[in-house]
Amino acid sequence: MIQAQSLTKHYGSKTAVDAVDFTVQPGKVTGFLGPNGAGKSTTMRMIVGLDRPSAGSVRVNGKPYHEHKAPLREVGVLLDAKAVHTGRSAYNHLRAMAATHSIPTSRVHEVINLTGLESVARKRVGGFSLGMGQRLGIAAALLGDPATLILDEPVNGLDPEGVQWVRKLTRQLAAEGRTVLLSSHLMSEMALTADHIIVLGRGRVIADASVADIIASAAQNTVRVRTPHTAALASLLAQADVTITNLEQDVLEISGLTVNEIGDRAAAAQISLHELTAVSASLEDAYMKLTQNEVEYRTGDTHTEAGVAR
Amino acid sequence: MSTQTHQTQPATARASFVPTGSGLSFTGLLHSESIKLWSLRSTYWTFSLVVVASLGIAVLMAFAMSSGFDSAGGAMGIDHAQLYVMVATSGLSLGQLIVAVLGVLSISGEYSSGMIKSTLTAVPNRLPALWAKVCVLFGFTFVVGLFSVVGAFLVATPILGANDVTANLFGDGVILPLLGNALFLALIAVFAIGIGTIVRSSAGGIATVLGIILLLPTVVALFSLLVEWVADIVPFMFTVAGSEMITPNTMESWQAFLVVLVWVVVSLGTAALLLKRRDA
Repeated sequence: MIQAQSLTKHYGSKTAVDAVDFTVQPGKVTGFLGPNGAGKSTTMRMIVGLDRPSAGSVRVNGKPYHEHKAPLREVGVLLDAKAVHTGRSAYNHLRAMAATHSIPTSRVHEVINLTGLESVARKRVGGFSLGMGQRLGIAAALLGDPATLILDEPVNGLDPEGVQWVRKLTRQLAAEGRTVLLSSHLMSEMALTADHIIVLGRGRVIADASVADIIASAAQNTVRVRTPHTAALASLLAQADVTITNLEQDVLEISGLTVNEIGDRAAAAQISLHELTAVSASLEDAYMKLTQNEVEYRTGDTHTEAGVAR
Repeated sequence: MSTQTHQTQPATARASFVPTGSGLSFTGLLHSESIKLWSLRSTYWTFSLVVVASLGIAVLMAFAMSSGFDSAGGAMGIDHAQLYVMVATSGLSLGQLIVAVLGVLSISGEYSSGMIKSTLTAVPNRLPALWAKVCVLFGFTFVVGLFSVVGAFLVATPILGANDVTANLFGDGVILPLLGNALFLALIAVFAIGIGTIVRSSAGGIATVLGIILLLPTVVALFSLLVEWVADIVPFMFTVAGSEMITPNTMESWQAFLVVLVWVVVSLGTAALLLKRRDA
């Protein structure tokens, strides 16, 4: 369990984390989302005491992190792939980490096998690919068999098999009653992995709810209709609370009406439909909507194919 | 928009996982730091270099001395023990520079590679990790230093002995200065850890340490030509005090040792203060 209370971090005049309050519950995978610069990494660093909060506090499993007698058994953390001396082998890195807590070498071999590093464990970390570095970081996080896992972008650089492995691993760890806090920018992956989502924007919590609630609250369900008579159908359905977007020449996206209503009305007006699909909103849609005003580093507007809105 | 749906989660309260097993201990930290030290190739290189420089220069010195005796017709009137100590420690000034670099790198390497984040998450109170590193580097450097000077004594023995210049390794006039040299070598390494922790960069740390060891005594000595009282502080320079510790000149051995300790304590104390206070 991670509990943050009015957790704040200033860097000079810039406020990276602005009095956030949240609780990360055990037994669930909690996704930590937010645009670049929203304060996710800073928050994670404060949880494990690498950065000192400017104000407020954060507790892990009931205590400030540094008060635990066996920190690596309380929290396993993957902050970024570069927390390893490049001149050392993966095996020796893990051995040195394990030695601090008198964790036996057998556990080092266990996490090496678990993360699939057997073939490169004796090689120097400097030559590792991004994906191998991530696997080593995850191995280090698992070393103490910790009650809480904090993984910053764990799937960054992993192959599809690795991404799936992280998903299964984190779900399994949560099922064992552990606390799992996970950040990622891959929304589809997050939708499959997380139970609960905390969204940060410009250092503040802008959403803290279950995945289903986040999607339901932020994005609307729509219906996709393919018909050769888009203009006729659009004028037939037009009313105050209905939005109709012309996606392609013969495809409309309609929100505010159900599939049944659209089908029935089209049939009554003898408009032929070639496709009628309910499209549920994705986490990505919800996320984009939540964070549209919170983006710190916005890319220049690329020209989008704007549909004709009616 | 995607057609993907999210599976509903039970999200009921499960029993929390309770961690078990061994925790942090200082012996664990010592073990960890010695794994760190000996799992880098640079450690073998630097320590080997210290030994090779020590033995090599001792051999050269011994031969140079011997040829001097030949022309002067023997080493009459020179204290043999003092001569042996001079020969055995002649390569150590190079060794001092090498271990100073090693000391800086042992911590600055953690900062430049990001390893420091792993170290400090494992030891969130931070200072025990620094003290463990200090103990480990001090211990191994002392052993390597002692091995170097005793080795140098031994390789010089047959060369000097050919001219009937002999000394007993375990005589007070020999073993104590050799131990003192090894001790000062280890203290330099530890002093350098402090500087490396303060500066947090390899280049800056090495420049600072070498500046203090090599440059500072010279600069202060030059100043003393302009301002007379500055001459009085020359013995208080780190390396000058280090050599006074072994061959007392302007102050007693123990006084020189205290001066050396003050340098080390200031370096490590500042390092500890900053390490505790700064964001990693």
